[in-house]
Amino acid sequence: MSGPLLLQSLILGLLLGGLYALLAAGLTLYFGVMRVVMIAHSAFLILAAYLAWFFTTQTGLDPLLSLIITVPLFFAAGYGMQRALLSRLRPATLTMMSVLLTFAIALIIEGGLGYLFSGTQRRIQLGYSSASLELWGARIAVVKLVAFGLAAISLLALYLLLKKTRFGQALRATIQHREAAQLLGIDTDRIAGFGFGLGLATAAVGGTALALDATIYPSLHWHWIGPLMAIIVIGGLGSIPGAAVAAMVLGVTQSLLQIPMGTTWAQTVFYLALFATLMFRPQGFFGGRLAQRF
Amino acid sequence: MLSASKHEESRTHPGRSVLVMKLVAAAVALGLVLAFPALAPDPFILSVGVVIASYAALAVAWNFVGGLTGYISLGHAAYSGLGGYGTALLITEAGVNPWVSMVVAAVLVGLAAVPIGIASLRVRGASFVIVSIALVLILLLVAQSWADVTGGSNGLRVPRPFGTDVLRPEQHERFFYLFVALTLVALVLWWVIDRSRLGTGLKAIREDEDKAQALGVPTFAYKLVVFVVSAFMTAMAGGMYALWFGSLDPIFQFSILTGSYLVLMSLLGGVRSLLGPVVGAVIVGYAVEFFKNQYGDTQLHLVALGLLLALVVLFMPDGVIPWLTAQFDRFRPGDTSIREVDAAQLAEERKALEEAKS
Repeated sequence: MSGPLLLQSLILGLLLGGLYALLAAGLTLYFGVMRVVMIAHSAFLILAAYLAWFFTTQTGLDPLLSLIITVPLFFAAGYGMQRALLSRLRPATLTMMSVLLTFAIALIIEGGLGYLFSGTQRRIQLGYSSASLELWGARIAVVKLVAFGLAAISLLALYLLLKKTRFGQALRATIQHREAAQLLGIDTDRIAGFGFGLGLATAAVGGTALALDATIYPSLHWHWIGPLMAIIVIGGLGSIPGAAVAAMVLGVTQSLLQIPMGTTWAQTVFYLALFATLMFRPQGFFGGRLAQRF
Repeated sequence: MLSASKHEESRTHPGRSVLVMKLVAAAVALGLVLAFPALAPDPFILSVGVVIASYAALAVAWNFVGGLTGYISLGHAAYSGLGGYGTALLITEAGVNPWVSMVVAAVLVGLAAVPIGIASLRVRGASFVIVSIALVLILLLVAQSWADVTGGSNGLRVPRPFGTDVLRPEQHERFFYLFVALTLVALVLWWVIDRSRLGTGLKAIREDEDKAQALGVPTFAYKLVVFVVSAFMTAMAGGMYALWFGSLDPIFQFSILTGSYLVLMSLLGGVRSLLGPVVGAVIVGYAVEFFKNQYGDTQLHLVALGLLLALVVLFMPDGVIPWLTAQFDRFRPGDTSIREVDAAQLAEERKALEEAKS
């Protein structure tokens, strides 16, 4: 195995890990706010990618500009989904029923995309699609760097929002202890809705980043949901730093394993890591008390 | 004393008549099911009947875990698919008799379910669902990539268990009865577990796992036992399906969609009732075949399935049978907590108790 090839895999792994980290952060938000495992997250990811593709083919503008539409749209959709659908479920069976409800939403999105845009594989053609940078012999496509930059900026913005603003404090308080947050005068129902909206907004950003350099088709979301689920369990359900670290480590591992094993077998690393984690450390590597009970 | 016995009789009598009515209804339903192949107008309808019967067997097998413990698995296609592949490989590679292969494959799947169960049942609900999905995705990857053994994306051909002189419609008929028999076996097993100490423990876990554990229910062992039973029965149904269908395609064998059909069937019928999954299998199985026929080329059947699942989860999470019963109960006199014994009778009972003690 040559040095440049190894370096290239390492960099590609880190870039992929950034996207995983952003999406896993979204999943963690839903889980923190409502103890909900949101199966439809990756379906919304593909939906955003399709919207970016549709936007570009219709207007001829850069897909990044579609974020101006999709991010507020997804935020509103997430808020609406939490307030109108998920909060109607009975608390006693919330975990299980929310899985099924979000699974149903994923099916509706997949079926709707297949109906509207057909199952044909789509790809955005850009002026800079084939451009790449050379770094000590490793070739890195510019679109991958743009995608990573987008994910990194969003993740940083999310971090600042959660740590530095009053809204972020209220959201974290709601995640930590709902009743106590209520006693302090926080409208936890609204905050939970906003938390959901934020989670879905990460899917909008991630989808646009994905559309830059990937071929998309309606059933693609199944390839994303497995690794993302594995990441949040390994990181410890409910822990955003845990999800980010697990995303980076697994992204790099997957990328490095692709050299000897090929793309398909390399994907199994997520599932093997998931099983190993549940066998030996069921609460994940960064999860606390919260993770153990789910 | 006379009034007491009358009181007793008035309580047991409706119970007995309900039981008789239930038995008659079950006999009529079973008779109709068994007569179905003779009534089916053409082989296509008969083959739809076989598909629905296979769904019924799978849904009842799913309901061992889903109904008794409340742990919802979206990935039971993993066990049916493994059962199918195991059966096919045992026949083609080892030359074992088809029916023996089916049972051996199911036993092997049951054994494989032990470590999977240990990993996924250690933690509560959410992780269990995640593992169940991951399992299907990993098996799909393996089945597609490991072409030397599984035939890759081309799938496997399964030799027919009956000779070539048995024609297609005749095959459908035999497999229809076989699936009905398998469903009945699964139902009897579910009924037995439901009424056993194991079943009581499992239902305690479903209602409140922490309290059950505090009361000394060996929660982990109970969950594991019923999980393995469920995987075994699912693999039996999967193996039988492979023998009937004659070919295995990894995309359909290891599909989350198939797993979600089972969940929808059981939820719609009612996970807490014995026959709920069967009722659900008939409704959903028919609907699925209808949608596929109607919108075969488009993806609208996914939308239809998704909407149906969302409606069931939002409006009748206990299933259609309890929902209908609740609608009927509106027109019946409401339940009261008034005791139908007067003070004199109560005093008499107390006295008898006191005498018995002393």
